[in-house]
Amino acid sequence: MHKLKVADLNLLIKYKYDTMLKQAAFYETDFEKPNITIDIPDETLEEWHKESPHLTIDDIEYVYTGAAFYEALLHFNGFMLHSSGVVKDGYAYLFSADPGTGKSTHTGLWQKHFGEDNARIINDDKPAIRLVDDRLWVYGTPWSGKTDKNLNIKVPLGAIVFLERSEENWVKEIEPREAIPLVMQQTIRPVEKDKMIMLLDMLDRVLSSVKLYRLGCNISDEAVEVSYNGIRVEE
Amino acid sequence: MKIKDGYLLREVAGSNIVVPIGEGAMDFSGVITLNDVGAFIWKSLEEDTTEAELVKKILAEYDIDEETAKSDVKEYIGSLRKADLIAD
Repeated sequence: MHKLKVADLNLLIKYKYDTMLKQAAFYETDFEKPNITIDIPDETLEEWHKESPHLTIDDIEYVYTGAAFYEALLHFNGFMLHSSGVVKDGYAYLFSADPGTGKSTHTGLWQKHFGEDNARIINDDKPAIRLVDDRLWVYGTPWSGKTDKNLNIKVPLGAIVFLERSEENWVKEIEPREAIPLVMQQTIRPVEKDKMIMLLDMLDRVLSSVKLYRLGCNISDEAVEVSYNGIRVEE
Repeated sequence: MKIKDGYLLREVAGSNIVVPIGEGAMDFSGVITLNDVGAFIWKSLEEDTTEAELVKKILAEYDIDEETAKSDVKEYIGSLRKADLIAD
């Protein structure tokens, strides 16, 4: 079993394949008592592997340990948003969309525009959001999708942006009502009632206190300027 | 009649939303948003009830006349039936 600190939680977790070994290395720590324990038996992993033979057992371990973590996260005022998160001026901006839309492409453009040190990717696919000490934080986690872009840091949540492809670049602020189905589409929806209540209560807090936007963008430097100027937190 | 099992009504950031839970959560097709009267009727329908009972409850809760309450309930039940959300 490995001991990790992820999203300020003590995580006791079993894994042995390369992807997890590599992705989790920066999160290793020591503690007495775990907040979350993830111990998926080998036989279960092999069964899931049989159901998805196009994936390697390595991928299966990575995907299912992530799913187990994000489900457990609901018990700690937290949830995962399928998005690419970029940190700029001390805030995390989360760009959310279906796979293949261009989330990572857009945050990659931010890095090119501002420099990699001034626009850091906190998690390229599945950042964690938690309410801690009455403030919303974004955390990097070992589970960052197809890329290894994630940082073991926590940063205040700046804004949530739903990204779509467009020939013109534009930003529009939206109401929580419009964001609810979009967020529900881009997170793990729990099956059990008590966990769904935890998720919805967390969304209640997030959507009523954070700025929400829709962004239409192409692949250009102008896309970054329109996006940054439209969504940045004014101090 | 009552609302079928497998749905959860909750207020999220000022909106009354209904989401599928249990097996239905797997094939997620979206979120249902209800106005306040709609949420009130939905909550009443979580227990087995009748159309006449619903009208009575609405008249006790809202300042509207009986004709309006009756037609609202009829219309609302109709749309719930159409969406296959009511078990008799």
